[in-house]
Amino acid sequence: MPTTETPAQTLDCTGLQCPLPVIKTAQAIKTIEPGQVLELLATDPGVEPDMKAWSSRTGNELLAIDREGDVFHVFLRRNG
Amino acid sequence: MWTGEGEGKVLYVQTHGVSDPGRCATPFFLAASAAAMEVEVGIYFTMYGPTLLQKDVVDKIGPKGDVGQPLSYFIKQATDLGVKLYVCQPSLELNDLALDDLIDGVTMIGGAAFNDMAMQADAVVSF
Repeated sequence: MPTTETPAQTLDCTGLQCPLPVIKTAQAIKTIEPGQVLELLATDPGVEPDMKAWSSRTGNELLAIDREGDVFHVFLRRNG
Repeated sequence: MWTGEGEGKVLYVQTHGVSDPGRCATPFFLAASAAAMEVEVGIYFTMYGPTLLQKDVVDKIGPKGDVGQPLSYFIKQATDLGVKLYVCQPSLELNDLALDDLIDGVTMIGGAAFNDMAMQADAVVSF
C-alpha cells in the first residue's frame, strides 16, 4: 500500500508500548485538518491490527502501513 | 451514567485490589484504548477493586512494582481521555473505605445503576 502524500504531521511513537501509540494517534489526529495525513512511527508489533481497528472505528482512513526494519510507518487521513 | 455521545459503550469491571498489583493496570490500558476509539468508557470497581483508587495508594503501586510508571500515571492517562470511574458503596465498606479516601472524580453508584449501565453497554469486560 504505497502512499505518495506528504504527511501534515509525523508522530514518533517508536519504543512505546500499547496503548500509547493508539492514544497519541487519537490525540494527534485532532491537531491536523480534515483531509490531511498523519504519519505514525511505531515499533509496537501490535500496531498494524490496532491501527486497522482504530481507523475503522473512528472513521479515519488508513492509507498505508509500510514497514522499515522494526519501524512501522502508518499513514492516516483525518476524516470529516 | 452513559451520555450516549460516544460511538459505542464499553464497561470494564475491576474486582482485583492492591494485593495483586500485576492485575491493577490493564483495565486502565484497555479503557484508555477504547476511549481513544471515540467509545464511551466506564470502569466499575467492586469487591477489592476500590482499594486501587485510594489517594495514598495510587502513587505507591504499579503493575511491575518499582519498575516503570505508578498506577496513578495509568489512571490519569485513562481519565484524561474521558474514562469515568465508578464504585459501589458496599464494596467501599468491604474494604473499610469512604469515598473521601479515594482520588477525585470517582462516582458512587449502586447495583441497579451498574446493571442498567451493563445492559446498555455494547460490551462488558470483567477482570
